[in-house]
Amino acid sequence: MEEPAAFERLVYKNASNFHYMKICLVLENGSRNIEAAQFKQLIVSGLRQLYGEVGAAFPFDLLKFDPGTLTGILRVYNSGLVKLWSALTLIGSYQNELCAVRVTQVSPFLLALSGNSRELELDQASPTGEKLLLT
Amino acid sequence: MVRFKSRYLLCEVCVEDRSSLLLLEERAIFHAVKTAVARSHGDYGAALLILSFAVKYVNAHTGIILIRCRKSHYRILWSALPFISCLENRGQKVQCLISCLHVGGTIRTCQKFLVKYSTQQLHRMLPHCKNEAERDEVRRAVLSCSLEKERDVEEEEEVEEDDWEDE
Repeated sequence: MEEPAAFERLVYKNASNFHYMKICLVLENGSRNIEAAQFKQLIVSGLRQLYGEVGAAFPFDLLKFDPGTLTGILRVYNSGLVKLWSALTLIGSYQNELCAVRVTQVSPFLLALSGNSRELELDQASPTGEKLLLT
Repeated sequence: MVRFKSRYLLCEVCVEDRSSLLLLEERAIFHAVKTAVARSHGDYGAALLILSFAVKYVNAHTGIILIRCRKSHYRILWSALPFISCLENRGQKVQCLISCLHVGGTIRTCQKFLVKYSTQQLHRMLPHCKNEAERDEVRRAVLSCSLEKERDVEEEEEVEEDDWEDE
């Protein structure tokens, strides 16, 4: 009989103060030109609607914004993550146009947002299938 | 069985002109507090507050009010109170300031605190009397409120009883 493996307890404590969110704005009538400042304003107004003046005052940053795909990366303190996320979910319109915010990825490490396993594509041409293409 | 636990906030309405306190009304306070919470804590705060929010007691003469809310979320109400700057009643806007005196678990403890607080305030204000006549006036007014005095008065003549009641 083999000895059963010794019980080992692994506790992972999050060392990071921040969470990073990759979000994408989807507008009803296709994309249009939105600047980073306008995008942040939209998020702040969503926060103000749901959590009032107090909620609109908590710190978060828009680190990067791509106006072409309307995708941005937010950095927020762990304590504000749930508030920010729920406010993002309830954003319903931008300048009288229906819209939605899709949260693509959330991670405590910024590096994790550089790649998305859901968008990985196996290269069909490669016989071994080892080569992966990031899209 | 588990009961819903509440917090009672004993507050004082401070106004510049004491006579405008008489306009104080339950509905006006209810509305003012609700809008203040909605402004500072948004839809989320307003919805949490409405669960068991009630204005239980309003004293228009002294400006003391008692507000009830859920124990778990009383901080929302508490933090929104300082942002109330005016009460509207029958089309009249009264500039005011609401300061929270005590947060209690039952109306009973709030009442106990209020009695203690009022006594303290009286002791603080008595030395401000300028002369003996003023002091006597205050003393007579205080005694006229007590129950023992009322019993004494009943024994006395009717004419004098009317005098007491006037004060």
